Amino acid sequence: MSAAERLLHDAVTMLEADLGGKQGERHGDVHVTLDKETVREAVRRLRAAGFELLADVMAIDWSAYPGHEGERFTVVYNLASIDPVTRIFLRVNVEEDEEVPSITPQWKAAGFMEREVYDLFGIPFAGHPDLRKLVTPDDLEGHPLRKDFPLGETPTLFNDGRFLDPATFRAGMLGSDTGRTGWVGGARKGVRSEQGREAAERELTEGSDA
Amino acid sequence: MSDLPHGAQVLHEERSGDFSTKLMRINVGPVHPATHGVLRLVVDLDGETVMGVAPRIGYLHTGFEKTMENRTWQQVVTYTNRMDYAHALGHDLAYVLAAEKLLDARVPERAQRIRVLLTELNRIASHLLGLGTGLLDMGALTPFFYTMRERDKILDILEMVSGVRMNYGYFRVGGLSRDLPEGFEEKVQAFIDEFPARLEEYLAMFADNPIWVNRVRGAGVVTRDTALEVGLTGPSARASGVNYDVRKAAPYSGYEDYDFEVPMAEEGDAEQRFAVRAREMEQSLRIVQQALVRLEPGPIKDPDRRISLPERHELETSMEAVIFHFKLVTEGFHPPMGEVYVPTESARGELGYYLVSDGGSMPYRVKVRTPSLVNVQAIEPASIGGTFADMVVNIATMDPVMGDVDK
Amino acid sequence: MAVNDLFEKDFTELERDGILFTTLGKLVAWGRSKSIYPVTFGLACCALEMMQSTNSRNDMARMGSEVFRASPRQADVMIVAGRLSKKMAPIMRRVYEQMPEPKWVISMGACASSGGMFNNYAIVQNVDSVVPVDVFVPGCPPRPEALVYAVLQLQKKVMGETFDAEGVELPMVEGWTRS
Repeated sequence: MSAAERLLHDAVTMLEADLGGKQGERHGDVHVTLDKETVREAVRRLRAAGFELLADVMAIDWSAYPGHEGERFTVVYNLASIDPVTRIFLRVNVEEDEEVPSITPQWKAAGFMEREVYDLFGIPFAGHPDLRKLVTPDDLEGHPLRKDFPLGETPTLFNDGRFLDPATFRAGMLGSDTGRTGWVGGARKGVRSEQGREAAERELTEGSDA
Repeated sequence: MSDLPHGAQVLHEERSGDFSTKLMRINVGPVHPATHGVLRLVVDLDGETVMGVAPRIGYLHTGFEKTMENRTWQQVVTYTNRMDYAHALGHDLAYVLAAEKLLDARVPERAQRIRVLLTELNRIASHLLGLGTGLLDMGALTPFFYTMRERDKILDILEMVSGVRMNYGYFRVGGLSRDLPEGFEEKVQAFIDEFPARLEEYLAMFADNPIWVNRVRGAGVVTRDTALEVGLTGPSARASGVNYDVRKAAPYSGYEDYDFEVPMAEEGDAEQRFAVRAREMEQSLRIVQQALVRLEPGPIKDPDRRISLPERHELETSMEAVIFHFKLVTEGFHPPMGEVYVPTESARGELGYYLVSDGGSMPYRVKVRTPSLVNVQAIEPASIGGTFADMVVNIATMDPVMGDVDK
Repeated sequence: MAVNDLFEKDFTELERDGILFTTLGKLVAWGRSKSIYPVTFGLACCALEMMQSTNSRNDMARMGSEVFRASPRQADVMIVAGRLSKKMAPIMRRVYEQMPEPKWVISMGACASSGGMFNNYAIVQNVDSVVPVDVFVPGCPPRPEALVYAVLQLQKKVMGETFDAEGVELPMVEGWTRS
């Protein structure tokens, strides 16, 4: 067993025995799922054990994931050891509006990372010294990376009031909503039938159902 | 208060007779010549001494991660390089490696060699840009013209390969978009022959210059502990004695086969941050040289039909190839469900893509661990206690790219 | 030549002697067009190509636009180089309003001109909705040569050599009035 493997093994054993972690594996990386109450202690112990670099704090919104059950969000902490080189991921599952203890007071590197998660997902971090929006404008309401936040595309405009709705266009192209082109506001070029024009006018006045 | 600049604010004032000292809070940026784009800093000043720095970011927030969730896996490559436009191929490489790990793709030897070669060339270009604009921030205009001249030569090579001067999008999941053009080897060889002398010329221009040395030596010291506390990676961290280079620590794309060193320094001041970048260019050039020698003819794409587009000539004879082509262009491929993280070394530090796939044709979640976002946090500990002019040096030597910071 | 000659001789004779006649407005517009100083407003990728256009290969100084002023109060043209986020838009408007009249705007690159590939919640889809744009430069990013060409087009506009969509000649910028 190499030094890196031993370090990782000791860390996982410690997390499982003392803090009730559950080990998992994703494409060769070790992920340990923890309760949110223990995450501070886990990070503190891992840092003392030699995981010197806090590479990232990120979140995933599972609300649109097929077949997902359980909490809506997962916060992932990415810690690396420099010598010997190894990496461990900590996972904390939380529901909407549930607070996660901030690790910024004990590790400054988390400052921007947690603020970014708070800004883009709306997960509050309890005990963060400066929890404000990081990248989005102050007047933007909502949290852009949540799955229920729209991408906010502007339709592509053509002559004669026709436009292309990008989201529908993409859905038709990818086969998830077949038969639709996203073409709104007029018959397609070349189609000059009465029905086509009527349909176009109806669509324009009543709005697209896309 | 009429003598205060607009938006400035007096936090504290001490009077002693006619003389008064004020602790002032002023705003720097986002439109400021020394902030490398649109970085904004709120600085507390006691006279000329910096008492506090608070970076305010997001002025280039582009919504990359949200947009990538609405593009097919292959289309994402178009977006990755716009994030860090100075070291664009580094981002491309990081993304395709993560997606390939998810797909379990087998990238041919030649494609890997070309990837390494071009990424290292791009790294030199990025460091040249950082060096030139960094010196420009300090008021030295001339080196900017020299470094941009060399950068132009690299861009010529990359343009020859990919068709554009910046934002290449040359790498594909599973390989490359096309093979190298004719005359590529000669052009790179000409650059390799010419560059060391040029680099020496630049270093002679400022490394031994007493004005330069007085300006940067001992300015903006970041100790090893501070660097790890704020999560600093890349050349700036290696100047502080953090021996961490992902190319050595967790080799990818065959970096373990190349013979190169990781330049290190212990001082952690602005001079060493510059020096480490300069020496890194020499090492990158060594890698380019080795990769060029080892280039051998061969396939450049994973032969797996479910990942790579079929060759053009096959479309004329094979119906099956047409079907695969159509499916790949409209829907793209469907990686199996799972999560993957691949760290790489960009010119600015550890760059990793965390991808989540739900088995669909678009990524479920793309999280980019951008080095600049974390490195910006190091400006604060480096600058406190120094002068305002030193803070400008610190921003320049941390070399953040704002697209990389704000995403 | 004596000064009196200017008043006594016919202007065709004077022109033969090498003295040219123009209006003050034309003279000012000509001078102005040859010294359009840009304000540094680099946002994203295009900013690097904007820098590259001042280097020895492309040398925008030949067109009289070499001095990038950090203060908008000393600048004539704003080159919007890169994607403009909605957070940055009010700041750009403010920088534009700080520039003295007459002033121009070059929208450099696809993102600034149309939102480009970033059709999403964060990016302004056309900077023309924030500041009035005179010249749009296509490309992602445009080559430095394209930017130099845009500056040349702007010079034509300043000198009143451009036409609108109906073919009507656009007036040159007034040289002697101040708003």
